[in-house]
Amino acid sequence: MSGITTIPAAPDIAAADHAPRKVKAARNRGDRIFYGGASMSGALVLSIMVAVGAFLAYEATDALRATGLSFLTTSDWQPDRGKFGIASVLLGTVLIAAVAVSIALPISMGTALFITEVCPKWLRATLVALVDLMAAVPSVVYGLWGLFLLQGQIIGVSRFINTWLGWIPIFKVTGADPNSPLASSTVYTASAFIAGVVVAMMVMPIQCVVMREVFSQVPIGEREGAFALGSTRWGMIRVVALPFGRGGIIGGTMLGLGRALGETIAVLLIISPRFDINFHILEAGGNSVSSLIALRYGEATGFGLSALMAAGLVLFAVTLVVNFTASWFVARSRSGASSDA
Amino acid sequence: MVVAFLVAAVSAAPHQQADALLAYQRISGEGSSWAANALEAMRVNVQSNKGMVVDYNPSGSSAGRKNFLNGTVDFAASDIPFQFRPEDGSAPENPAPDSYAYIPVVAGGTSFMYNLKINGKRVTNLRLSGENVVKIFTGKIKMWNDAAIQADNPGIVMPARAVVPVVRSDGSGSSAQFTKWMITQYPALWTEYCNTSGRAPACGFTSFYPTITGMIAQSGDLGVAGYISQGFAEGAIGYVNYSYALGSAFPVAKVLNAAGYYTEPTPKNVAVSLLKAQINTDASDPAEYLTQKLEGVYTDTDPRNYQLSSYSYLIVPTKVAGQFNEAKGKTLGDFAYYAMCEAQQQSESLGYSPMPINLVQASFDQIMKIPGVVAREVDISACNNPTFSANGTNTLATKAPQPQACDKKGYASQCPNGTGGMSNVQTAVKAVATTGGGSTVTTVKAGGTKPPAGSATGDTGPVGTDTGTVDTVPTGDGTGDQVCDPTVSDCSGGGGSSQDGPSAAEVGAISPSTLDQASGWTVSTALLLLVIGLTLVLILAPALVWRHLANRGNE
Repeated sequence: MSGITTIPAAPDIAAADHAPRKVKAARNRGDRIFYGGASMSGALVLSIMVAVGAFLAYEATDALRATGLSFLTTSDWQPDRGKFGIASVLLGTVLIAAVAVSIALPISMGTALFITEVCPKWLRATLVALVDLMAAVPSVVYGLWGLFLLQGQIIGVSRFINTWLGWIPIFKVTGADPNSPLASSTVYTASAFIAGVVVAMMVMPIQCVVMREVFSQVPIGEREGAFALGSTRWGMIRVVALPFGRGGIIGGTMLGLGRALGETIAVLLIISPRFDINFHILEAGGNSVSSLIALRYGEATGFGLSALMAAGLVLFAVTLVVNFTASWFVARSRSGASSDA
Repeated sequence: MVVAFLVAAVSAAPHQQADALLAYQRISGEGSSWAANALEAMRVNVQSNKGMVVDYNPSGSSAGRKNFLNGTVDFAASDIPFQFRPEDGSAPENPAPDSYAYIPVVAGGTSFMYNLKINGKRVTNLRLSGENVVKIFTGKIKMWNDAAIQADNPGIVMPARAVVPVVRSDGSGSSAQFTKWMITQYPALWTEYCNTSGRAPACGFTSFYPTITGMIAQSGDLGVAGYISQGFAEGAIGYVNYSYALGSAFPVAKVLNAAGYYTEPTPKNVAVSLLKAQINTDASDPAEYLTQKLEGVYTDTDPRNYQLSSYSYLIVPTKVAGQFNEAKGKTLGDFAYYAMCEAQQQSESLGYSPMPINLVQASFDQIMKIPGVVAREVDISACNNPTFSANGTNTLATKAPQPQACDKKGYASQCPNGTGGMSNVQTAVKAVATTGGGSTVTTVKAGGTKPPAGSATGDTGPVGTDTGTVDTVPTGDGTGDQVCDPTVSDCSGGGGSSQDGPSAAEVGAISPSTLDQASGWTVSTALLLLVIGLTLVLILAPALVWRHLANRGNE
């Protein structure tokens, strides 16, 4: 740093590549510490993820070697007898997550739009805090709430759907007889649907936060432009806010999906585990990978544990794919560049 | 200010508990949810009375045994012993020889708690034969108005509701005991079920109940009882320990025994039944010593017998290994002494049956095997165990009242008395024609003085050490035989009502063991305040710091 200004040679336009010249700033000590700390945290997160994946893969080897690909197609869980696979469990996981997301999506989108576009200013902070509070409630509380309060109340909904839409295969309930006043309600309990509703309550806040963030970034110019052209509020939301926030909506939904796939204790409390393929979401019994692990981890030994690890590995991979897809959508969208999803 | 308040709170806490806390190491246990209500009561009592901290996680017998083997808990509670040769195809458990000992800790009945209503009124007096129980839990009987169940219940009209069996989803000793009973008593029905549920050929008794469509599986006794007791679960029936039915205030089914009586798993009936349990007394084989063989209970012909009675065990380490050391051994030993002596007197009120004297004495020898234990000379008569008597008989069993005539198979109607947690609620039953001669109106001998058939010691005199030797005193002498007609009055005047709880005399003999000596400031109060304070700080601090920084930035 002699302070001498050098006069650059006349650029050889023909030869020069158009890359900008490299900026090299000398970092002072504070910068260096911050840079080191930040990059270390980043590296740590990555290495933890890799370590989790590697550990699961290592622990799962025994089980996967014993079953091979049939691990994905068998629907039974008796690892000590060599009869185990996650076909039904994975299906249950996906069904619960699908129910959760299809219920949480409209609610969270509506809440996000209400908070950013409709709600009076004095209410906004309260609503935001409430939604954040929902995210902070422990999942076992949701589970107990679902088990002892919601389950009894939602049977009517299940019966209604089954009665009128029972002709659609997934809404069919074996053993249900809508015409009999003495028919047992229990066929509608402990189902993937009820577990899904509870999980929906848990993923809703996450989705809502992402969407709210995106909607609040809608450029004020476009928003007011729409109004200036005579648009109603709904018109503005439809042609400006929603298209702008599309990336955030998709990204938030998929983040929620990621959490729904992995939700454990609420599902464990509510669902009645079964290991046959059951795609009737209203019918009693289902399963999910994480609740299976939580249920059987305590008593599994050696090989059984390895089988559970294999199930965990599959869930890990699925969740990873979902989350990466989510961030890809968000990053790709117009609003995504500055969104935190 | 908050900090100052907290400091004051902590320094105000007396040190009286400090010594007790130092004297004991914190120990942890895991296992049976069947026995959990009894263990939980013991845990609370030793904590408040002796400052002994015992953690117990009722995650199921299988999980308890596994974590004991892994060395992550100091003791386990299990309804069945270690499975060296499991019959259901699961992996064998191989504890190191001589590294553990069994201590039978609590007895009880695996009861069938149900949720059933007739015309909107809860049924409290359901009766089931063993075969019907098996058929219900193997999916053979699908409706409550099945002719077979109706035949068991001539006094009520069974509703046309679906039967919903509720079973355990986790590895459970109750499932093991229950399936063992089914296999022994009704092998054909079980084998058929085993085949349909995809378990064949490993059809032995299992901790993991095989399920079929239409069944509900829940985790833990609490999960099963919790499901059954919900309003929507009408038609549900599940197997839980009797204490859970009491806790949920729900009735349990009376099960038909070999003597032709439908009986309830009351603590007294369980005590009678377990006289027929064969206890392995070969002390040279620790893998078997004190374990139970219940085949004799299944076929016992005492009219008071409840077939599904069993013991639950503590599994304690006999060697120092891993996280278990002698200091913990001292605590565990003291806890075991407490469990075998003082704690037994409250078993009955919880719905369990206290340990008989021979098992208590054998347990004291087992406790001596725990490393680090401080040996005690226990004066057994001071335990106030309601089963003890001067002559070695099981007082509880001797005093157990005979079943009522209306509980006999073949009676034209059935007893209206409630069961389990609804013993005070009667169910209307069909009237019995009194003109048909003496056979329909039956007399019941009160007082329950019939000697238990084949009592363990052969001595039947009801001479007790406590004052509660007389259970239900018939009015006047010579009137011991009371007419019991369920249609005109309840049968509680007879000797059959074992649900009236301990009589006044009995209550007097039992001294309450839970004493709340912690009044005023204690360490836990101070800690509670500390936690509240810290939580407040945690919530407020970021906002305060933020505001402070923001103000500084504005200047």
